[in-house]
Amino acid sequence: MAAGPPYVELHAHSAFSFLDGASTPAELASAAAKLGYPAFALTDHDGVWGSMELVDACRGLGVKAITGTELTLRIGPAGGAVGGTAPEDALATGGGGGSPAATGPAGEYAHLTLLVQDAIGYRNLCRLLTAAHSHTRDSSQRSAGQPSVTLEQVEEHADGLVCLSGCAGQGMLTAAWERGDAAAGAEAARRLLGAFGRDRFRIELQRPYWRRDRSRNRWLAGLAERLGIPAVATGNVHSHGGKWRTRLQNAFVAVRLGMTLEESEALRRGNSSSALDSPQEMADRFAEHPDAVAETLRLAERLEFDLNRELGYRYPREGEPGVDRKLAELCRALLAERYAGSVHRRKAETDLEDELKTIRALGLSGFFLLHHDLLVLAREVADEVRGRDSARSILPPGRGRGSSVSSIVCYLTGLSHIDPVANDLNSSRFLNEEVGKQAGTMPDIDLDFPRDIREVLIPRVHERYGADHSALVAAFPTYRPRGAVRDLGKALGLPQEEIEKVAKMVGFHERGGEIEKDVLAAIGPERAATKRWRVLLRLCPEAMGLPRHASQHSGGMVISTRPLIDVCPVVPAAMAGRQIVQWDKDSCNDAGFLKIDLLGLGMLSAVERCVEEVGETRRESLDLSRIPFDDAETFRSIRAAETTGVFQIERRAQMSMLPRTRPENLDDLTVQVALVRPGPIQGGAVHPYIERLKRRREDPEGFEIPYEHPLLKDVLEYTLGTIVFQEQVIEVATALAGFSAAQADSLRRAMSRKRSAEAIQGHHDRFIAGALERGVPVATAERVWEQIRGFSGFGFPKAHSAAFGLLAYQSAWLRVHRPQEFLCALLNEQPMGFYPPDALVHEAQRREVRLAGPDANRSRVLCHVEWIEAELTVRIGLGYVKGVRKEEMEGLVAERERSGDYAGIADLASRCGAGRDGLERLAWAGALDALVKSVRFEDLPALPERADTQNASLASEAPVRTRSAGPSLGGRREALWEAGGAGTGVRHGEDVQMALPLEPPRAPELEPLDEWERAIADYRSIGMTLDEHPMALMRADLDAAILRSTELEEAENGGIVEVAGMVVARQRPETANGIVFMLLEDERGTVNLVVPPPVYERCRAAVRAASLVQARGKLERHEGTTNVVVSEVIELERPQSPIRRDEKMPMKRGIGQTPPKSPRRRVRERAMAELRAVAPAGHSFGRRR
Amino acid sequence: MTPGLRRLYVPRSAKVDANRAGEPTSVDGVAVEAVREQWVVEDRWWTPQPLGRRYFELALADGRNLVVFRSTLSGCWYQQRG
Repeated sequence: MAAGPPYVELHAHSAFSFLDGASTPAELASAAAKLGYPAFALTDHDGVWGSMELVDACRGLGVKAITGTELTLRIGPAGGAVGGTAPEDALATGGGGGSPAATGPAGEYAHLTLLVQDAIGYRNLCRLLTAAHSHTRDSSQRSAGQPSVTLEQVEEHADGLVCLSGCAGQGMLTAAWERGDAAAGAEAARRLLGAFGRDRFRIELQRPYWRRDRSRNRWLAGLAERLGIPAVATGNVHSHGGKWRTRLQNAFVAVRLGMTLEESEALRRGNSSSALDSPQEMADRFAEHPDAVAETLRLAERLEFDLNRELGYRYPREGEPGVDRKLAELCRALLAERYAGSVHRRKAETDLEDELKTIRALGLSGFFLLHHDLLVLAREVADEVRGRDSARSILPPGRGRGSSVSSIVCYLTGLSHIDPVANDLNSSRFLNEEVGKQAGTMPDIDLDFPRDIREVLIPRVHERYGADHSALVAAFPTYRPRGAVRDLGKALGLPQEEIEKVAKMVGFHERGGEIEKDVLAAIGPERAATKRWRVLLRLCPEAMGLPRHASQHSGGMVISTRPLIDVCPVVPAAMAGRQIVQWDKDSCNDAGFLKIDLLGLGMLSAVERCVEEVGETRRESLDLSRIPFDDAETFRSIRAAETTGVFQIERRAQMSMLPRTRPENLDDLTVQVALVRPGPIQGGAVHPYIERLKRRREDPEGFEIPYEHPLLKDVLEYTLGTIVFQEQVIEVATALAGFSAAQADSLRRAMSRKRSAEAIQGHHDRFIAGALERGVPVATAERVWEQIRGFSGFGFPKAHSAAFGLLAYQSAWLRVHRPQEFLCALLNEQPMGFYPPDALVHEAQRREVRLAGPDANRSRVLCHVEWIEAELTVRIGLGYVKGVRKEEMEGLVAERERSGDYAGIADLASRCGAGRDGLERLAWAGALDALVKSVRFEDLPALPERADTQNASLASEAPVRTRSAGPSLGGRREALWEAGGAGTGVRHGEDVQMALPLEPPRAPELEPLDEWERAIADYRSIGMTLDEHPMALMRADLDAAILRSTELEEAENGGIVEVAGMVVARQRPETANGIVFMLLEDERGTVNLVVPPPVYERCRAAVRAASLVQARGKLERHEGTTNVVVSEVIELERPQSPIRRDEKMPMKRGIGQTPPKSPRRRVRERAMAELRAVAPAGHSFGRRR
Repeated sequence: MTPGLRRLYVPRSAKVDANRAGEPTSVDGVAVEAVREQWVVEDRWWTPQPLGRRYFELALADGRNLVVFRSTLSGCWYQQRG
């Protein structure tokens, strides 16, 4: 008779032990299945973060997932009744053959292994873990502390849990034994036995190949025998295998301890025994304790708890009596109101009754009523935040996104702002009876809120439903190349300077081979060939995608009728007033939790700010739902790709598409927003769509859509035969291959999840077979399948695109018709969007939007719009000055508003309490220019009061103390001089002792900052310059052959051109076959560079990291888009540097023989170097630098 | 000395006979009475001098206690002060 596997692993850590585990639960599950394990327990430190993922991964592998944790106990000072060692499990080491737990903050913490036996045990585990984390954010900075519980808390929650006595290094018993206090260890064992009983307490044996393994295990086995309970063997697994993954685990320990690998030697495991071994190898490892091995099987047999089935979760109003009637009444009443007199009323009524029927069948009436309740709450919050008299008060508190926008119930209850009937939206993806019943999952409702409303709403939801009943969903930031290089490079003891050079160069999505090229480019082949750098290159790919720590999801919230802490542990988040469940959105979805996304959308905030600013400056109440949606000038600007700052369509890829797609209405924008996404791009939809659009424009009568098959006509007509929207995948699978709604939804879900590439392929055979049955040729079916498979990258549902398209239009309209307020709002909402403030400002200046620099007598903390010389001008706020304390600036503005303008720097220092550092920063930013004594304030003509539109023309003829809007009076050097001499406030905790208004000595005559110095000071102090563009300052030193961006329009198509500029963005989309796109900005506008892969490889350092570049390449002008396909890119460095030494291509004036450096040139070179150091962070490979 | 590094003493070559499981049966001609402990060190893999050692704490027939290790990189046996 074939014997089963002799051993089950009951103690394993995944990467969800955060830097103490180097494999995902899925990797562990897969390895366990391959090794023949019948069951596998995940026992991450103080959490069940990865448990649902393990359950999900084990399904179908024939491995039973066991839920558990390794819990940290707080056991008092060293020498207490039950001793311990350090908080880190990794302190348990035998490195060099020494004893484990040799160092560390002795005697405060110990570990227990807890495994869930039944539903009561799971509830107790959740409560224990919640308690363990409850104090972890108590410090004033809310930095994460060590989770822990007391032994008494464990005793109170012992029911339904199996307790193993803990790991070899820091277990409750072993730590005491290591300390030489075996009696304390035995006493602890008796106490645990008392709490858990003979059935549920086991002495845990481990064999990590440390020096005292045998004697420790003999002692433990003897103790078990004396207590009359079995011992059980465990492996304390920390990776699923592989040499480099095991080494990564070692490096993670060093990262977690903030040490190098050398420094942490005594605290690491010191060998590879924590990798998952086969059951037989584990049985061999414990050859001296065969009963302890056999006990693993007996325990695993008993641990029947199924996380998937026994949670008992319910959401508020779920199953509440009469909910079906209440929802129907509410919706019918609202329909009568909304559709009164509408041509769509009859269709709306039919759709509503259909939806209500589905909702009733799915038992989701309570779900929608709950959302309605939340929206009522959001409206209250919005009134509070905006103020009832604010220009924003007429706006809805938030708006829907995602597929919920297609639902008429959502529209009527205020969850969506798009009329689904008028916009012909299909709610089948959102609500589907067959899907809902089979999958048991909830529909998704995503709500976007302005950031300020969301900040208040989230804690308010906690208050409304109770802290024990609501929490945010967790998110797990995973290792990406930059973080991996930084963390692991430090652990390897590599020089910080080298690490930073490489880290700045690596891209967000890069893989191992790419990182190697970056290392070579950054530090040269000699250093790159050293052992430690080679090791880093091996470790980085292993770390990619592993979670580094827990964080909060951007807004996903779960609410439960039953206390949440009974169904998933709840832990405090880094932000005050917020808490998170220990599961991410996928796990919450698997658990059947109702998740509501309360998302903060920067553009929504910006649009609201803009409306408010318009109300203030123009006395105009703007209702964005009533602006003309066919405004010719707005659509002209969109077609011309003049969309910097506009929602969604401001990105480079969108901009290059707009002149070709030529949107003319909101429907076109709906497609536009969805088109430039990974799904349609990889699915091959983009070029056919654009080509067909063009053909239809040229021949509206004769054009026919070339469908892959006539069966697709109904579902793809809107998008000219291409798959652009997410729900079209479902519709295509249904129409062409006869997928049921549930099958099609399963395909869609497989595409939308991050951990299921194989699942998509699993649908392939069914799709082809279904298509053949319908008479579709196999080649056609395969072609359509490829489009579907390609789409799996990511795509928007049509409803979501409609919502985003509308916001794109509204923002474009504001940009065209209220440009000052729109720019001001964008500046105040940073960080957001694609462009840094500097680029936004320059682009606005090119449209003749006037700006004024920060001024202590004019600026508020935020940017605002004011009338200067009868022109609306955006005034930069004092909050933009880097390094100043926000409360100091608030104090400065409040004092000015209370008692009048500041008469000088001494007056300012004595009245507002700003410290010297703050004053100096303001002086560098030019905010004190107008206060210097050499140009006394009272000598200046009165500044204009803020004017309304009626008296704008009378506002002022006064000279203006702005740099862009008039001559600058005073000087920063004088301001600095005076700031240095003025008495300043002295901070005592929260209080400030004001300075005496002592007049500083008058500044001597100082040379004003020249234009370069001013630009550098601007970038250094406010991150932007409002004066001359750096490229304008540089132009005189550049070769005349280098064209300005506007001059490209006159250059010959296909000719070789040279350009130079500041790098605003660089991207290397995964969908672009290695091509890098760079966006340069010069004094006239922007230039698109297309960098082919060979050029990228050759010019890697400049392409990836330089902030100012010059480039040469072929000009390509096509359908309104101009690109330079470059053959050479170099960092714009010294004025005399040629682009290539081996070519006679002078890029700079004076090329030929290198001229001796003049003092002026040296100064200019230094200025260039400084400029490079302070140049604003552009969009660099997926994120702002 | 770099903080965190442990002095490892200087190992001496030893003549060790081992059984098929790799456990010593004699050291410098003296029979092994018992293997008291056995542990493994695999470290410094990120340096040009990686470490791979399988240690044995032995009780010898002549009454001595001894620690020997086999380098998993060179296959050589060494004796080390316990």
